[in-house]
Amino acid sequence: MPKWNDLQEQNFLESDARARAIGLVDEGSFTELAGPFDRFHSPHLETLGEAVEFDDGIVTGVGKIGKTLVFVISQEGRFIGGSVGEVGSAKMVNTIRLATEFYDKLVAEHPDATDEEKPIVVISFETGGVRLHESNAGLLAHAEVIDQIQKARHKVPVISVIGSKIGCFGGMGFVAAATDAIVMSEYGRLGLTGPEVIEQEMGKEEFDSGDRALVFRTTGGRHKYIMGDCDVLVKGSIKDFREALQKLAPLPVSDFEAMRRVASPELVEKQLKLVALTAELQPKDARDLWAKAGNADPIATENKPIDEFLAETKRLTI
Amino acid sequence: MALNTLEFYVKIGAATKSIDKPLHLGVVGSGDMEVLMEPKDLKGAASVKVVTPVAGFEELWKRLIETFATETLLGDVQFKINDNNATPAVVLLRLRQAFTEATEE
Repeated sequence: MPKWNDLQEQNFLESDARARAIGLVDEGSFTELAGPFDRFHSPHLETLGEAVEFDDGIVTGVGKIGKTLVFVISQEGRFIGGSVGEVGSAKMVNTIRLATEFYDKLVAEHPDATDEEKPIVVISFETGGVRLHESNAGLLAHAEVIDQIQKARHKVPVISVIGSKIGCFGGMGFVAAATDAIVMSEYGRLGLTGPEVIEQEMGKEEFDSGDRALVFRTTGGRHKYIMGDCDVLVKGSIKDFREALQKLAPLPVSDFEAMRRVASPELVEKQLKLVALTAELQPKDARDLWAKAGNADPIATENKPIDEFLAETKRLTI
Repeated sequence: MALNTLEFYVKIGAATKSIDKPLHLGVVGSGDMEVLMEPKDLKGAASVKVVTPVAGFEELWKRLIETFATETLLGDVQFKINDNNATPAVVLLRLRQAFTEATEE
């Protein structure tokens, strides 16, 4: 098992799922649930003759940040692109369900529990979405996760953490959008259809997935931060992410409503205004929107060091 | 095409080392593998279970585990391996890493 102290300075981008799960909570507090020793692997992959993994590519468990109990879900991108199938999503659903049940019990038995003592869920995404080998089971699984996030709403904040190599794409992009808050690093990428898939379906003229700068300024953390898709932008070590969670953990659950992206009439209104704005603006590049947000020199916005970016950049207000 | 499961025992005469707690290491990435090592009284032998999409390398797996056991003198252990086309060099590397981690503390 990796040592907590070594993990803190480690680059989040290159950390595997277990290292992230252990490092995102307080030292020595992480307990894995349904881990590799329980050997829940995917029955579908076995039938197809594909390699299986003992934890099905997802680490789930529980830890603590200060007084807050943190239910952690962490996806492993190196196992079939972090794709989520039946077993993996059952682990996600049940982790969120456990958190919600714990909340219900806590509030029933201790009505005076402070916000700090109420649990949160943290999902560290590294995935391209549905595991296509598991087709309908995989798709249904995504719906179940979103359903469980809605059940946790107004009770347990669900926080997305995105800063891993594969990013968060496909069906899991929807799941991330349905969570209460999103924390990213500039190397994190968030979207629905991934860059390679857009290029494959629509052609290189539409989107050149080989153009790294283009990919990052369209799906990367800086752009998502300006657009309001990401609530907190952090530098890049596991410690940076943990400290961001430390700030979010004690907040009352009502504070998270303001950070949400979906699931209220006001937010639908806001999204429609954004659609109207893009229809009017006809942006050819993410930079056009950055300029609209009030950043006079979008190329500098893209290239300046992250500290300066965080201090100077204006975010789009709708 | 189905997943192949190989199960075998390896016994070297001089096994003197054992582990005292179970250990998990590795990710089943492409060309990589994961291993569960669990202590078990097998009278000095090691039991091995490999699940792999690759067919026809049972002899090579046996020789690899023998090499590893001879090198580390590890016995009384159960290996459970999920493999995804790892080369022999990668397999030995992961086993050595697991051994180092298991006997470190």
